[in-house]
Amino acid sequence: MRKYVLKRLAQVMVILFCILTILFVLFRLAPGDPVTRMVDPEMTPEESQHLIEQLGLDKPIWTQYLIYLKNCSTGQFGYSIHYGEPVAKVIWEKLPNTILLFTTAVLLSAMVGISWGKIAAWRKGKATDLVLTIAALVTHTLFLPWLALLLVWIFAYQLDWFPITGMVSDEVWLDPTAGFFTKAADVLYHMVLPLTTLFLIHFGSYLLVMRSSMLDTLKEDYIVLARAKGLKERDIRNKHAAPNAWLPVVTSVGLSLAFSINGGALTETVFSWPGIGRELVFAVSQNDYPLAQACFMLISTVVLMSNVVVDVLYAYLDPRIRY
Amino acid sequence: MARHYKFACFTCKVVAAALLAVVLFGLAPASQAASNGMLKVGVLEEPKSLNLWLASDAWSNRVLSMIYQPLFVREPKDSKLVPWLAAGEPVYDAGKMTYTLKLRPAKWSDGTDFTAEDVVFTGKIIKEFKIPRQSSKFSFIEDIVAVDKHTVRFELKRPKAIFLTRTLTTPIVQKKQWEKVVAEARKSEKPLSALLRQAVDHPVGTGPFMLAQWKKGVFVYMKANPYFFGKGQVIEGYKMGPYIKGIIFKVFGTADAAVLALRKGSIDFYWNSIQAGYLDQLKGDSDIKLFVSKKSGLYYLGFNLRKAPFDDMALRQAVATIIDKEFIIKRILQGYGEVLYSVIPPGNTFYYNPDVPKYGYGMNHDQRIKKAYEILKAAGYSWEVPPVNGQGQVQKAKDIRLPDGDPMKEFVILTPPADYDPHRAMSGQLIQEWLRAMGMPAVSRPMAFGALIQKVKGQHDFDCFILGYGKLSLDPGYLRSFFHSAMNKANGWNMSGYESAAYDALATESNNAMDLNLRRKMIMELQKIVMTAVPYIPLYNPTIIEGVRVDRFTGWVQMLDGIGNIWSFCDIKPK
Repeated sequence: MRKYVLKRLAQVMVILFCILTILFVLFRLAPGDPVTRMVDPEMTPEESQHLIEQLGLDKPIWTQYLIYLKNCSTGQFGYSIHYGEPVAKVIWEKLPNTILLFTTAVLLSAMVGISWGKIAAWRKGKATDLVLTIAALVTHTLFLPWLALLLVWIFAYQLDWFPITGMVSDEVWLDPTAGFFTKAADVLYHMVLPLTTLFLIHFGSYLLVMRSSMLDTLKEDYIVLARAKGLKERDIRNKHAAPNAWLPVVTSVGLSLAFSINGGALTETVFSWPGIGRELVFAVSQNDYPLAQACFMLISTVVLMSNVVVDVLYAYLDPRIRY
Repeated sequence: MARHYKFACFTCKVVAAALLAVVLFGLAPASQAASNGMLKVGVLEEPKSLNLWLASDAWSNRVLSMIYQPLFVREPKDSKLVPWLAAGEPVYDAGKMTYTLKLRPAKWSDGTDFTAEDVVFTGKIIKEFKIPRQSSKFSFIEDIVAVDKHTVRFELKRPKAIFLTRTLTTPIVQKKQWEKVVAEARKSEKPLSALLRQAVDHPVGTGPFMLAQWKKGVFVYMKANPYFFGKGQVIEGYKMGPYIKGIIFKVFGTADAAVLALRKGSIDFYWNSIQAGYLDQLKGDSDIKLFVSKKSGLYYLGFNLRKAPFDDMALRQAVATIIDKEFIIKRILQGYGEVLYSVIPPGNTFYYNPDVPKYGYGMNHDQRIKKAYEILKAAGYSWEVPPVNGQGQVQKAKDIRLPDGDPMKEFVILTPPADYDPHRAMSGQLIQEWLRAMGMPAVSRPMAFGALIQKVKGQHDFDCFILGYGKLSLDPGYLRSFFHSAMNKANGWNMSGYESAAYDALATESNNAMDLNLRRKMIMELQKIVMTAVPYIPLYNPTIIEGVRVDRFTGWVQMLDGIGNIWSFCDIKPK
């Protein structure tokens, strides 16, 4: 196992290096640069040129590449061109918000989706299966911004149960008497609508994967054996069938968890949630190379590492798998 | 394995219970804004930076304009420059080419005195570091001298008209706060870069508000500056506040959310132009008042005069005749905009020239076609099927030929994509159709903004383009930048490549003219020259529509570019 993990980690390093290079090339191939796109008549060509030199964008592309590799190897991703702050600081300010919302959403969707998928498979062909499967298909194919705006309009504007958007209430955060729990409750209160949106969009995919996997498992001989032994239906479902149907779902959840740090530009935009997804879109659209490269690097690293973790987890979940 | 299952079920139940608790018991307070003298302003983005020298986006400038103040500002009525941190008009000594200026007694938000040393320091660092967007305002200044604590003297190398309009409207920073930062930046190999990377967490300014708290990505809280120099004074007829305790800038990701928040009462003012699509619902809301203001904007079609057939003035004039700007305003801007005939918008009342050639003015579709046909025919163009037949009736034209008999090659009108600016993208489509009616093989092509700018400004690799400026300076110095031959270079502002010795001479002279009325005459003449040669066809200038709630605050001051201005924030009062 140790040998396998070390081998996988070595592969990850090689892939990361390739990604680093591809990212660098892609951003340099994209037309324009951060200075050219500042369309401000008050900016003279001489000022633009001076700024380009100061930002090091006038250096030969190979020199820029070597500086970039050196910075990445030391964990220094440089300064965001537009924020003027270290990239790590910009990302760190937004990343926890994204993790809080999106990772919670993935976990919640996965838990509910798996649980309902199991029930749907168990009651295949009955009304419960039909309702759950249709609900999963319908919600999974909804257009996220539309659903999000609909929820905001109904629950925030018409019913006034929740705030329009945002992550916190200024009234609470500017109140010197507000303690940790009040602030935490405030964040949770603001999370309800975005979380509901993400849940509705995502639970269906887990439900369908689990249902399909479970249906395959239910055809296995050991299920017939369990029935022949006279075990309770509930025990057969939960202790014999479900655990063996988990494997494909684990891959799906593992990757979703990894991608959850990517956030979602649409969700974050509609709910004014200050996360990494919007930053990523902003960085790419504004040619903020250091920020965009660092965001993609972070996502790549987490996804690659989570793949390794999922593979290792396979062996733990299924004792038949050995590396 | 059953352990995992039980754990999953348990976690699921805990999360569900927590969410239910929040919903049922309403742990958080109601989001309805209570006034308490605190103005809530909705914005679409938070500031990118509070480093004045780095910030170039409109959202940062909204916050920074409350903190850092210039010596002169535009007054609301006629947009004339009036003393702000300055105590009066500058005294010009033509012989020595110096301006001497008295300063108002004022304090910084940390309670220390604002002095001439701060003005000198600001000017000197702009020159030394060649700060983008600022250094051209100081490049013609030889020296800045603090004559005494409240008097400053600017010594000019040569006369420059923008001294009054742009140099004196530069925000002033506090020497005490910045001198350490500047000293550190000087030690760097790349001093400007080091200066721009300075984090300014607590900006010290002389403005009516000061930063109190910035919750990144969510809100910026500014409280009234107790040391604001204008407090209680009457400036331009306004008794200055601020009369409110503070401003909270709340970030909304979309206009949909911001408009809902305005209607719900979560914010008092949405500081952005509201799109026409929202107006019907807002007009029916008695708690909301809409302000429709003129803007200093210019949206235009530009030609590449470096290549045929766009180097032909007759063709450009014919294209200008065909374009129905009224139709663009009516159909695309839904009536919220004004037609432009000059490169200076009418809102700039002092410099706007209403007597420039107005191509197609007052004509209907057929009259435009006939007029354009007349211009092109006189210039030697021919058609396989002309746009006007022998009986003088307009018909669908086919295959226009250049004066040398060659068929006109397909050409492209580059526009920003619809998700960046639907107005420009749709205008491109309309213009394409109008040109095709004349037999011209035009194709409107949306292109990512960065790529478009690089093609047009950097590489000059284009035929035509539609671009615009949402907030042009009221100083018309940009006329020189846009059309002077010295700016016809890669990344220069003369994107069309227009060249005229007469224009160059007059543009340079106008930029050096210190007599305002003389300069005005020259600017009027420059507009005539440009609109005769038409390297740009000015299209439209959208109006700004802003919405405020009327139930909590009153006293908004409307001026060019809307009600989001320093006069409003110094004048509004809780009801």
